[in-house]
Amino acid sequence: MSAILEVKKLRKAFGGVVAVDDNTFAVERGTRLGIIGPNGAGKTTTFNMIAGFYKPTSGTIEFEGRRISGLKPHRISQLGIGRTFQNVRAFRELTVYDHVMAGALAHELHYRPTAKQVEEVEHILQWSRLAEHRDTTVKNLTLAAQRQIELATALATRPKVLLLDELMAGLTFVEIDQMLDLLRLINQEMGITLIVVEHVMKAIMALCQRIIVLSYGKIIAEGSPQEISTNQTVIEAYLGKETAYA
Amino acid sequence: MRNTKRSPLVTIIILIVVLVVLAVLPQLTSEYITYVAVLAMLYAVLTGSYDILTGYTGPLTFCHGAFYGIGAYTSALLTLKAGLPFWAAFPLSGVMVFVFAVIIGYPGLRLKGHYFAVTSFFFAHFMYLVILNSIGLTNGPMGLGGIKPPEGFLGINFAGLKASYYLIFIYGIIVITGLWLFIRSGIGKLLVTIRENEELSEAIGVNTAFYKVLAFSVGAGVAGLTGSLFAHFFRLLHPTTFAWMTSEMVVIMSLVGGLGTLIGPIIGAGIVTLILELMRFAPELRLITWSVALIAVLLIEPKGLMGLIRRLQPGGRK
Repeated sequence: MSAILEVKKLRKAFGGVVAVDDNTFAVERGTRLGIIGPNGAGKTTTFNMIAGFYKPTSGTIEFEGRRISGLKPHRISQLGIGRTFQNVRAFRELTVYDHVMAGALAHELHYRPTAKQVEEVEHILQWSRLAEHRDTTVKNLTLAAQRQIELATALATRPKVLLLDELMAGLTFVEIDQMLDLLRLINQEMGITLIVVEHVMKAIMALCQRIIVLSYGKIIAEGSPQEISTNQTVIEAYLGKETAYA
Repeated sequence: MRNTKRSPLVTIIILIVVLVVLAVLPQLTSEYITYVAVLAMLYAVLTGSYDILTGYTGPLTFCHGAFYGIGAYTSALLTLKAGLPFWAAFPLSGVMVFVFAVIIGYPGLRLKGHYFAVTSFFFAHFMYLVILNSIGLTNGPMGLGGIKPPEGFLGINFAGLKASYYLIFIYGIIVITGLWLFIRSGIGKLLVTIRENEELSEAIGVNTAFYKVLAFSVGAGVAGLTGSLFAHFFRLLHPTTFAWMTSEMVVIMSLVGGLGTLIGPIIGAGIVTLILELMRFAPELRLITWSVALIAVLLIEPKGLMGLIRRLQPGGRK
């Protein structure tokens, strides 16, 4: 297996605050990587740099061997990196169908959607259980549905890598389980590499094969879910140092 | 829940009624009303093209009247000073305003929200001052006269009121159909995503900077063409015709009709032109009346006339 995404000595400073501190990691093609860490650890900043929304202060990002750091977000999306946002974003006045179709058209523009695009969008709607809502205006749907729509639209751009930023936040347990099934399907059937930032530990432990832990902008641990959940440094970062009280 | 979708039936009925009335108007009414109708049609195309950027793509601008004016003066000067026939000057003025808008829009549209709106306002005023003060070229406040009507062909003489009325009528139908096809295209769908959420639009791969300039320039180009027709219909240009009031009028007409519906701003243009003409007996009341009307529209139905129609439809959203 080869690395689809390589991040080398990536750094982002906002004034004097170093949000991401010289981090290096690689993501293997077709895998599911989790990024966790306390609030303000630099997870979303890392995502924003990969997707092109922030320019790195220093360091490089390579996608399929090609340097992408410094490119505009739409270029990076065209190359094959899709993303969702931490706070749900949507084209609120569009119908669900048009919303997802926008992803397909943005990736491959035609005057009218081609038969292939229509078929693909219908397929994605089926997969993400949105088919029954296809003519509903997005703003009238629940938070869970809007997250599904954001994901479905990202899928319609035919990404090779998907960056999912707290996709499960605010969802019920049932909705989380459904989302996990969908993500496994996306990974296994479509072969899309997943990079997931998540606070819902149960979800990330169940989904990811490998996890990176960030704290104050630095990678403090990396490994399988089992290794991470027993790692002393990680526990300290989340819960503080264990002190012996006599 | 199909109910938030627009029913095409109402739109089609309105369209047919408007088209029939406009088609028979010069045959049945006085010259004065025909002139008013021409003005209404020119404004309808103007607000329709304005809707491409502000209604469908999002950024609010206050400079559409300036593009209208640049088109009018370009066309007039090309025929008067360069001796070009109208049929060459007409497309040329559209192209020139399009290029001009690209030059303005490329740096300008990097500004977001209100900043761009304010910039466009000053741009419009700047253009007005240029037209007013370039006396050697535009004859400044004395006005530019002696503009010739479009050259006739096939025995049609556009010097006459009826012939030029139908010229503008047909132009309006062609352009508005063109705009409608444009917003229904794949590009039109991408433009709407920019209005709805620019960051998400960028994230799914839309080159938002490019499409905003495109929408701005297409709208401006159509305004330029319309300005050219205005010049050769009224045959006298004065800078005040294209002062900030015109740009503002376009904004108000669009709001009255309902931004982002194409048909709304076109109907809004008709209604506002009509009201302004009806108020001619009391010029001092005109501004007050339509200010009040605008505030009323924004309070009662911010989505304008089309919003109101949709709300009144059976099963419409409450």
